Amino acid sequence: MRAPRLVTRTLVSSFLTVALVLGAVFTMLTIRVREQVRQSVADNLASAQQVFTLVEARRQQDVRAAVATLAENPTLKAALDTWLSERASASERTSRELLATVQRECDKMAERVAADVLAVTGAEGRIVASSGRLAASWPRGSIIEGRTSATAATDRSAGVGSRVYHVISVPLQLGEATIGSLELGTALDSAYARELADLSRGHAAIVRGPLVLASTLSAPAARDLAGSLGDAVADASTLTLAGESWAVQPLQQLGDVTFLALASIDAAAAGQTTAALRSLAWVGVGAIVLAAIGSVWLARTLTKPIDQLSRSLTKMTMAGRAHESVALSGSSRELDQLTFTFNALMASLSSAEADAEATYLGAVRALAAALDARDPYTAGHSERVSRFAVAIGEEMKLDAVAMETLRLGALLHDIGKIGVPDEVLRKPGVLSAAEFEAIKMHPSAGARILRSIPFLAPHIPIVELHHERPDGLGYPYGLRGDEIPPLARIVHVADAFDAMTSARAYRSGRIPVEAITELRKCIGTDFDGPSVEALIAALPRLVAAGEPVDSVVFQWAAHRARSA
Amino acid sequence: MIATALMSLLCVFAGQAQSTTGRVTGTVRLTSHSSRSPATAYDRRAVGPRARALAESRNVVIFFADIAASGDRAATRASVAQKDEQFVPHVVAVTTGSSVAFPNDDPFFHNVFSLSRGATFDLGRFPPGSSRARVFSRPGLVKVFCHIHSQMSAVVRVFDHPWFTIPDDQGTFTIDGVPPGQHTLVAWHERIGEQRARVAIRPGQNTEVTFTLPVLEPAK
Repeated sequence: MRAPRLVTRTLVSSFLTVALVLGAVFTMLTIRVREQVRQSVADNLASAQQVFTLVEARRQQDVRAAVATLAENPTLKAALDTWLSERASASERTSRELLATVQRECDKMAERVAADVLAVTGAEGRIVASSGRLAASWPRGSIIEGRTSATAATDRSAGVGSRVYHVISVPLQLGEATIGSLELGTALDSAYARELADLSRGHAAIVRGPLVLASTLSAPAARDLAGSLGDAVADASTLTLAGESWAVQPLQQLGDVTFLALASIDAAAAGQTTAALRSLAWVGVGAIVLAAIGSVWLARTLTKPIDQLSRSLTKMTMAGRAHESVALSGSSRELDQLTFTFNALMASLSSAEADAEATYLGAVRALAAALDARDPYTAGHSERVSRFAVAIGEEMKLDAVAMETLRLGALLHDIGKIGVPDEVLRKPGVLSAAEFEAIKMHPSAGARILRSIPFLAPHIPIVELHHERPDGLGYPYGLRGDEIPPLARIVHVADAFDAMTSARAYRSGRIPVEAITELRKCIGTDFDGPSVEALIAALPRLVAAGEPVDSVVFQWAAHRARSA
Repeated sequence: MIATALMSLLCVFAGQAQSTTGRVTGTVRLTSHSSRSPATAYDRRAVGPRARALAESRNVVIFFADIAASGDRAATRASVAQKDEQFVPHVVAVTTGSSVAFPNDDPFFHNVFSLSRGATFDLGRFPPGSSRARVFSRPGLVKVFCHIHSQMSAVVRVFDHPWFTIPDDQGTFTIDGVPPGQHTLVAWHERIGEQRARVAIRPGQNTEVTFTLPVLEPAK
């Protein structure tokens, strides 16, 4: 797996930080909002209860006033009172007429107040007539419970049949006497609960003992409410119904019936939390964008100089220019320190390399010099051949690497002669065949020596093949023409030229003009043509460089001018 | 009221003269236990300062229940005034054929009507100062109301014999000229009902009877 990029890393870390902070803020916000919502819902319910109490008191006052007004119905009172006093003795027909009158008046009044039930009772509390939507469950002759209690308030709760009613009782009075009462019953059903809910601006429930008579809650919530009625609901401020948290506030007590106002804290909190979340989301988007911009900027300021540095290093390594120094970017102290250290390291590396090369070169030179010193006639030969070969190479426009190889190779070309006995090497006069064979061994011997030094590997062909000839009559392999490496051809020419112009044990040195003539004559057979021509062209420069060929070159130059 | 008293007086004189009839005297004792009337949204109607009601004993009627009607009885006149939104007196007793006047003594309209079996009538509305009358020809109990003021009511008891009376403010009563023998004397109150007593009437003698009625009196 590759290491992640710096930009990725800064982006991820800054994003994670922002996300963490946002998460913490969100959690705290949610908790706080919930707490506040719980408080405000409870406050709302409490104020709703106060408003409800006022409104309800006013409403009940109005209802009582309406019923009290109804109770002043003279026909009703006259018919009821007459019926009550005559029912024992009167004929059935008369009695029926009086009852019909009472019933008719009752119907009219019930219609006027849109009552669930409106009943007329006699002084003993038995119903004489009833009317309204639910009158069937209040039949004549029955007694509505609690009625006989003279100390009870005018309002009471009464269970009749399967329903529970809110009953308002108003006496029917004749003078000082009470002949009966008007009973206005309102069923405490879901319609009543809805009315309560509208008044209390929330949900409402009507409970009696452990029973929920009616509520605007959902069925599961109402079940849970019934389950928790065993506890003191009146004291509890919050209940958990159907998995939700509800605020509860008793609105009113009527006999054994309690009216409750309920409000869902969760539902209220959801809206508030959504609002808070929305603003938080905007903040979050802003924070993330800012964090992204910031991290990208940070990454760029960090990575750009590093990237530049590594790129220039790569370029340098590819080009092999290790000795060049990298420019300081100035972007940060650390990076500049790194660059500076790198430059110093590279400088010390390349100087060490140069030292090593110089050391090698010195050793090789010493070796070559030691070789030359065995024979006074060949003293300085290797150095001269090297210089001539370099001159030829410069004339032929060789590249730097080839020039370096050529210079060292030429210097070492006769290293193999170390294995040739002195008497053969210094022998004046013509060599025997066996002696000549010994001489011919020296290129291969030189190559063997050089192979043990890896640094000198490029020079082996020069050493091994500098006695090959274009016509294939050379040694050790008898290669032809182009089979011979160019550097070996150059060294062969340079070697021959120095040999011709130097005094030997067996003859005195020929003058350069003759040597040049000789070289030219043997082009194609013994020597490589371009190398010979390059040597001739380089001669004036060799003179200028102070070669000991001084005099000969002048003579040659004069000779050349004459022949031209 | 005055008529009844006069009639009683006449009976007394007749009894003394012939001594063939007896007399019954007695007292109605009203034991009251107060009750609190149920609360209402508003106070009970009270237009003006209410006149003090007559003593509760005046709402009781004492009569013999089982003496056969005799032919001699005079038609009388009685009056029930409408004053301060009340019928005064609240209870009146008359013989059959008697006329009861209902003078309007209030400064506003009144009405008199009845749904009772004995006399179903409606005298209509009549202005202050005027009066309406009604003859009650059938014995029985007649409840009278005002259609304008629903809390007003009165009771007219109509008898086909003269042996009845209404006690005075102290609750004492006297009935003269009663045929001798064992009779049933009844004390009747509108809200309590009847209380009966067997009395023996001897010619020229006085018989004492005491009734005790538990009357509910509204709290003031």
